[in-house]
Amino acid sequence: MATTPRALTYRGIPVWRHALIIRWVVQIVSALVAVTLVVWFFANIVGAIQERDIPAGFGFLSREYQTPIGEHFIPYESSDTFLYALLVAAINTVVVAILGVILATMLGVLIGVARLSGSWILSRLMLVYIEFFRNVPLLVQLLFWFFIVLTLPPVREGYVFFDRIYVNNAGISMPGPVGSSLASASAWLALAAVSVGLGVLVHRVLTWREDRTGRASYPLAAGITVAVACGAAAWLIVGSVVGEAPLVISSPEPYGRFGRIGGGFTIRAGLLILLIGLVIYTSAFVAEIVRAGIQSVGRGQTEASRALGLSGIDTLRHVTFPQALRVIIPPMISQYLNLTKNSSLGGAVGYTDLTNVAITMTQTAPAVSIFLLIMLAYLAMSLTWSLIGNLYNRHIRIVGG
Amino acid sequence: MNALKWMVRIGLLVTLALVLSGCGSDDTDMTKELSDKDAEIAELRTQIAEIDELRAQIAEMESAAMETESAQMESETMMEERGDRLEAVRERGRVICASNNSLAGFGFIDDSGNTVGFDVDLCRAVAAAVLGDADAVEFRPTVAAERGPAMQSGDVDIMSRNTTWTTSRDVQWGNFAQTMFYDGQGFMVRKSLGLSGMLDLEDAAVCVQQGTTTELNLQDFINQNDLNISIVTFPDNVSANEAYIGEQCDSLTTDRSGLVSTRAGLANPDDHVILAGTISEEPLGPVVPHGDEQWYDVVKAVMAMLIYSEAYGITSSSVPTSVTGNTAVDRMFGLEGSFGQDDMGLSDTVAQDVIRAVGNYGEIYDRHLTPLGLQREGSRNALWSAASCTDCPKGGQVYAAPLR
Repeated sequence: MATTPRALTYRGIPVWRHALIIRWVVQIVSALVAVTLVVWFFANIVGAIQERDIPAGFGFLSREYQTPIGEHFIPYESSDTFLYALLVAAINTVVVAILGVILATMLGVLIGVARLSGSWILSRLMLVYIEFFRNVPLLVQLLFWFFIVLTLPPVREGYVFFDRIYVNNAGISMPGPVGSSLASASAWLALAAVSVGLGVLVHRVLTWREDRTGRASYPLAAGITVAVACGAAAWLIVGSVVGEAPLVISSPEPYGRFGRIGGGFTIRAGLLILLIGLVIYTSAFVAEIVRAGIQSVGRGQTEASRALGLSGIDTLRHVTFPQALRVIIPPMISQYLNLTKNSSLGGAVGYTDLTNVAITMTQTAPAVSIFLLIMLAYLAMSLTWSLIGNLYNRHIRIVGG
Repeated sequence: MNALKWMVRIGLLVTLALVLSGCGSDDTDMTKELSDKDAEIAELRTQIAEIDELRAQIAEMESAAMETESAQMESETMMEERGDRLEAVRERGRVICASNNSLAGFGFIDDSGNTVGFDVDLCRAVAAAVLGDADAVEFRPTVAAERGPAMQSGDVDIMSRNTTWTTSRDVQWGNFAQTMFYDGQGFMVRKSLGLSGMLDLEDAAVCVQQGTTTELNLQDFINQNDLNISIVTFPDNVSANEAYIGEQCDSLTTDRSGLVSTRAGLANPDDHVILAGTISEEPLGPVVPHGDEQWYDVVKAVMAMLIYSEAYGITSSSVPTSVTGNTAVDRMFGLEGSFGQDDMGLSDTVAQDVIRAVGNYGEIYDRHLTPLGLQREGSRNALWSAASCTDCPKGGQVYAAPLR
């Protein structure tokens, strides 16, 4: 027995070199460190709050806010609660985010494509645009636009186009649809949504049939016809039941001693400046992403489609762009997130976005609680953008092999 | 081995059981013995109850003792906290003062880059009192909406920044020392509009600075008078003023003193008019952080020195250095008696340093606010009375706790 050489005995992997154990230990230790840090961080905050008697808590949410909010897209009275006021402010931010994202995408794609145009001058001009607006801080740009808009004539001497559109340094007013009564307007809007759904359905079915049987039809024309016809029928029905048109076009008009513009659809100066600033700033980034995406598609693809006789625009639309989208979407989402978060600078130009209202609230309610709430609100908005982006990304990914 | 041990144990147990059962053979003996034992048990029980009672008493006494001890410790830490800020300021060598840097007259940056103004001079006076050097101030320009958090953080020693004293601010931000300037909110409009009063602002657009009582008062004013006014808020008075100048708004609203200050800086001040009347009370004054009574007392005493030296007619150039014969004046300037300088941790001649450095209340007012056109004579910001004269009130509201 004793003569067996030790070297031949298999003693297993030593504990400190065992891959499984090392992996587990690393995981557990890093988890402990992370948890400790987070706990320490929160304990520190809570400790500091208690030590300095900084007010905290969420009881204020049901109190009356009693402070004006300059811009609101849902009805707001100063007797509404803090919670409702936060909702009003959050909607202000959401409106800017959605409008901003749509406009920035449109402008950015145009500029990105123009940046790649064969025209030397156009391409260089776009380069200057991109490099200028990307490299100047957004707040500086916003203040610049603030002063630019202020140089527009004041409201009583403002520009009036076609007696309908008013442009002045307090904003832009134009005719817009207004519900004649809440019930009829919402009834028609609901029916109109159903009509559009029907139109889409018709379009889908006809396209499917065309694909399957090769029988020619006009899916798009048929779909639109169905949607419009159903919408019009709904309009007539709702109109005859209520006795008046569900939506009326309201034109802006000056009122009162000061000639302020009321009625119609008004984009007030704060929103206008914030949108201009955000859209121009973000579009520069979007343009670069679009350019990178298009350039990532092999040159051979373009050459092949041109050889097949597709025009430049058709090549872009049917060959290059669909392939580029896969590269474009992920960084684009992060630009959408940036735009949403950057809208928090709105206060600087007189727009009552979420952050701006939150800062005002700190006068009459605990700052720590308010900022905790709006951090959560921004987080929710950003995660929503990410979700939409990821769903779309999954939708357009290459399927099959 | 183990099995053997267990067998031994079980064996022992069995023997024990046998012995015990053998004991129960004599019945009469057993009953007597049992009753004896019962009596014994009852006695023991009463003893136990007594002991428990004693124990409870001891515990009570102990907890009471602990309580007094912890209370003592608490009061000790309170005592420690009491003088903390004064000591910290002296160690640091400068007073950290949250100030305005864009309101002419009250707190702004002059052509040579210095922070100057009526509010600013109070910080300088406090620095002169605790450090002997009015220039040992570090100014922290603070916009209106940052004021609360800045005070709550405790990083600032004093905030003197045209801040309205309200009850909720007093609770949440810090202690308001004393009103330094009595103000009220008003409206400025272009003269060409020909408005006759504040109620003519129906349908107007009004620019207001965010995070101020102004914003809240404006809402009250609108509600009370059922007016339709559209409000545009800006984070600082500079952009609010720009928006008014660019006629984005028809009217600018803030404290009347602020309006006077803004109007003075406009290209054509005469084209603008401040409407008669105020819509609010705005007592403006300095704030100190909660939790340090001594520091709070020091700031109040400094304000009292400024006010009473005006009342006694003492200016920066006539500060007495030897006994004057006027007991009150001598007491204030540390020449005879005391007004509590020692307890506050200040030197006996603190008032001499303060007045020599910044002058009295009237001098500060004349230096910064009179040039703006803020008339003092007959206003609420005149002194209540000259101290030596009991029968001739000047009618103002500026007054402080007597220095004694």
